[in-house]
Amino acid sequence: MKRLMTSKGLFGGTTLAVLAILVLLPLVLPSATLATEIVIFAMAALACNLLLGYGGLLSFGQGLFFGAGSYLSALAMIHGGVGLVTALVIAIVAGALIATFVGMLSIRRTGIYFVMLTLAFSQTGYFLAYTLSKWTGGDNGLLDVPRPGLSLFGVDLVDLKGAHAYYVFVALIFMAVYVGARRVIDSPFGSTLVAIRENESRASAVGFDTRHFKMLAFTLSGAVTALAGALYGMLINYVPLDNIAMAMSENIVIMTVIGGTGSLLGSLLGAGTLVLMGEILSSIWPRWPLLLGVLLILIVVFLRGGVWGGVESLIGRMTRKDEA
Amino acid sequence: MSEILLETQDLALAYGGFRAVDGVNLSVKAGTIHSVIGPNGAGKTSLFHCLTGGRKPSEGSIFFNGADITHRPAHARVGIGMARSFQVTSLFQNLSVRENLRLAAQGCDGDKALAFWRPVGAGKAHIATAERVMERLGLAAKANTAAGDLSHGQQRVLEVGMALCGEPKLLLLDEPTSGMGIDDIPIMTHLIAELGKDHTVMLIEHNMGIVMTISDTITVMSRGQILVEGKPDAVRADERVRAAYLGEAAV
Repeated sequence: MKRLMTSKGLFGGTTLAVLAILVLLPLVLPSATLATEIVIFAMAALACNLLLGYGGLLSFGQGLFFGAGSYLSALAMIHGGVGLVTALVIAIVAGALIATFVGMLSIRRTGIYFVMLTLAFSQTGYFLAYTLSKWTGGDNGLLDVPRPGLSLFGVDLVDLKGAHAYYVFVALIFMAVYVGARRVIDSPFGSTLVAIRENESRASAVGFDTRHFKMLAFTLSGAVTALAGALYGMLINYVPLDNIAMAMSENIVIMTVIGGTGSLLGSLLGAGTLVLMGEILSSIWPRWPLLLGVLLILIVVFLRGGVWGGVESLIGRMTRKDEA
Repeated sequence: MSEILLETQDLALAYGGFRAVDGVNLSVKAGTIHSVIGPNGAGKTSLFHCLTGGRKPSEGSIFFNGADITHRPAHARVGIGMARSFQVTSLFQNLSVRENLRLAAQGCDGDKALAFWRPVGAGKAHIATAERVMERLGLAAKANTAAGDLSHGQQRVLEVGMALCGEPKLLLLDEPTSGMGIDDIPIMTHLIAELGKDHTVMLIEHNMGIVMTISDTITVMSRGQILVEGKPDAVRADERVRAAYLGEAAV
């Protein structure tokens, strides 16, 4: 078991664990829609993890990328009549461009000033969406977002109207993003990003222009986050203003931290924890975010590796017992 | 052997009204070990910052291999063959010794390392460089140890090794023995002498004793200026050098 989990192959190790979770989710959960929501947010958390867990960059701008992906893909479908693939590509490209711009300006500062800059961009995006109500619906949100079927070169392949069909579609995209992210982390770029997190002045002294690396991390993170945003709009057939609000940035960061920074599988667990808590607790107690706060405090204080860190050390302890 | 690798012309660095480096003309010959020494506050470290690109000089120019590099940023000096070590150990503490060195080797590629679609394992040359440097430093047995778990002496050796991975023409070492125990200092002195055989080394040192045995040329700085320059024996015998160091000791 341990050998399988720690395998370094791109398609082995945690990729198998993710595959298993993706297969089980819709079977265990009461609805495929809930499962889809978890997977979409896992994608956003994974993108945040690339910045926070690997690059050491705490970005409160993730909601901006998520919201931009939701709005732009929806607007392209509603006004431009574009299909599913084109809408998603628009979200990815727009997310990458916006994130590159935000990254370019934010990384000119470090520490708290960097965080404040990402926050400022995120707020700007929110008020822009609020002001352009003719396009975005403002406070009411953007209604009647379609969920077109998958078609390539004019040939209709799959209808995604059904909740299960859409889940499979989203899960497949997540799988591709997950494998891609593992490749990124195990690349010269990923290893340099970790080096920058560890010691930026040393990274610069051995020859890396650290700003280029941070910027690329933003570009990739923004692209994936916007993709998640686009998929979310299609899931609920609606883009609420919340998608681009401060709380969205916050939630994405919280999921990443709860799941475990520096672990891609953790992002899936973090998103699952947060979405399920909301689903179960909100019907029982409207003040449930209070419990979320307690959970976050407990994890930051006692379980720095997040949920996945806890699972990992548990596996470690069990296998050590087996050997003894 | 007489070819000049690094040269400064009237180099000055001022902090407000205080001139930490004040009109330094330094020439480092290729293939030599050149030490810059001086009492505290002589301007050694400020000079070093100018050479490595950490600070922009207020006046004057720096030439490396014939090219003007005065305004080149620090990271862009690695690719042309300059590498540095830090006075205060600066490593990737949580990463293994091997990964530290591999990253240092990867650094010479600069932006080529932005390749996010390629596996790390494909950079075989970098892995080979890391292995070779590890052998040379005598750290091969510690390959998988986190840099932060090494002894202080070993960390200092790794610090120098990081600079070596860039296969530089010029090694700039900032007080390599800083904070080292008396027992570890000969190891470092020996390593630097070894490196001097196939690299040009420029060394900043506070401790005069260490550089006497290994240097080809010694420059003594005092109050931002060059006081004396010459072979170790000549420097040792110079009255002005004694006065400068004695003056410090008297304070």
